[in-house]
Amino acid sequence: MNYALLSTEVLTAVIGLTVLVAGLILPQRGKKVVGILAMLMTMLVLVVASLHFTDYEVFFGGVYQVDAYGSFFKILFLSAGLLVMLMGGKYVERFEERSSEFYALTILATLGMIIMACAGDLITIYVGLELMTISFYILTAYVLNDEASAEAGLKYLILGAISSAVLLFGMSLVFAMTGTTIVRDIAAQFTVQPAMIAGIVLMIAGFAFKISAVPFHMWVPDIYQGAPTPVTAYLAVASKAAGFAALARVFMLAFPLDQFNWSLALAILAAITIVVGNLIALAQKDVKRLLAYSSIAQAGYILAGLAAANVYGLKGVLFYAMLYVFSNTGAFAVTTAVEVETGSTDITAFNGLAKRSPFIAAVMTICMLSLAGIPPLAGFVGKFYLFSGAIESGYLWLAFIGLIMSMVSVYYYLTVAKAMYIGPAESEEGMAIGGAARFALWACLAGTILFGVFPAPLSQMTQCAIGLFF
Amino acid sequence: MSDYATIGVFLLLTMAFPIAAMAASWMFRPKPKSSEDKMLPYECGVDTKGKTWIRFRVSYFLYALVFLAFDVGVVFLFPWAAKFKFLGIYAFAAMLIFISLLLIGLWYAWKEGALEWY
Repeated sequence: MNYALLSTEVLTAVIGLTVLVAGLILPQRGKKVVGILAMLMTMLVLVVASLHFTDYEVFFGGVYQVDAYGSFFKILFLSAGLLVMLMGGKYVERFEERSSEFYALTILATLGMIIMACAGDLITIYVGLELMTISFYILTAYVLNDEASAEAGLKYLILGAISSAVLLFGMSLVFAMTGTTIVRDIAAQFTVQPAMIAGIVLMIAGFAFKISAVPFHMWVPDIYQGAPTPVTAYLAVASKAAGFAALARVFMLAFPLDQFNWSLALAILAAITIVVGNLIALAQKDVKRLLAYSSIAQAGYILAGLAAANVYGLKGVLFYAMLYVFSNTGAFAVTTAVEVETGSTDITAFNGLAKRSPFIAAVMTICMLSLAGIPPLAGFVGKFYLFSGAIESGYLWLAFIGLIMSMVSVYYYLTVAKAMYIGPAESEEGMAIGGAARFALWACLAGTILFGVFPAPLSQMTQCAIGLFF
Repeated sequence: MSDYATIGVFLLLTMAFPIAAMAASWMFRPKPKSSEDKMLPYECGVDTKGKTWIRFRVSYFLYALVFLAFDVGVVFLFPWAAKFKFLGIYAFAAMLIFISLLLIGLWYAWKEGALEWY
């Protein structure tokens, strides 16, 4: 075993602890350095992870795996974490003496996600999941004097604990039937039995909670709205992608489709999620809540690709998860900037944004159009992969539902654009956003447009990553 | 399927047992009229004074949490210490890393005032 291949994980753990210790040692006025330190070191780890993309090694008899699939998600999580830290800078200043822990917890949550995506064993997946969600419980309740934030944190703790228990119960049933927790060995011992099916159904329920698929989505709106906006962005893009990473690896490798057809269950979940998420989003007046429902709908699209369980569908899952990081973080970055400026995330707070800052309004519009799936932006390519995968697997009805609901979603995305461009402006003075946030906005914009007009490199990466399954 | 029947029989037995035990004690016990003393939540020990739904200091919780980290640490330390010579330098390094991770946690809790009683 070559432990050097674990450098990404080890480095992430080390920088998480370094940032925590730096927050302890440095005096109060020196704490601004902590954020910059966290961002620079995350950037370094991102470079390391990108260089190790094609590495392959199985550790401890399959408990942990370093492969292209895991590396793809490592790059995804680290980019998401970096973008969130960059765009959250001004918001984090509100936390005052607790701002250094914000960075430490964000990095530790990233470590949890990385472990989830690379684990080849049910218990290791669970440990990674807990590291991620416990960090998120704290981050969600970070604004101590805000009732909504405290309520969101407590709700997330209770509901998250229940869903973890359901997931763990499902895993224990699968273990009872097969005698192993290692994903690859489960497939060899697989037999269709009532207890096995119960285990699979419970695991679907547990993961569906983490990726916020209907009917396990009830927690999303309140928690997304109550949490600090950068945390909401991170929850929406990275925590969801981590859920998909583990779900795809476990279901594709452990439960052979020709023996037990779990894909129909996922297809039905995907269809309900797409319909419910999009329809409820139509009625939202608060942009943060609107993005929460939109993220439920986006989870439905990605789930459709996983239900297809073929090359196109899985490529779509990875492609969409990556572009979703850029498009959705861009939308949340603008929401954060508006909240810092006006103190509200209501849709009226966006009125006249185009006059105050044409750049910010343009980023918001392009990101939202990408989420709606308008060509030539990245969202279109992602949806193209996902729905072609679904059609190829015989889920024509699912692709139809997805297409019709994507058209419906254009309406609510454009209500925000309408407010920004033709809403009555209350003030005309420009908005000052920090240099880091501006950089994050440019990165989101570049990702959203580049993956749309030039999808080949990312497509090749996803092709390489899903080589694991076929 | 017979495996599941065993579980079903076991489930029924476990449900029947407490009901039978309670029914038996109800059958054989004397049945005096209920009085105020009988309706108290505790029939032994000291009667509660005031409301029982009060707030506890958060310090108890923080102490317990810090204690727990080291309690679990000891669970790992004992088997390692018993087999120290056999496990060698690799396990020693692994243990050092493990302890230092715990120590960073303690340092943080200490610095943030989790060990102060106020």
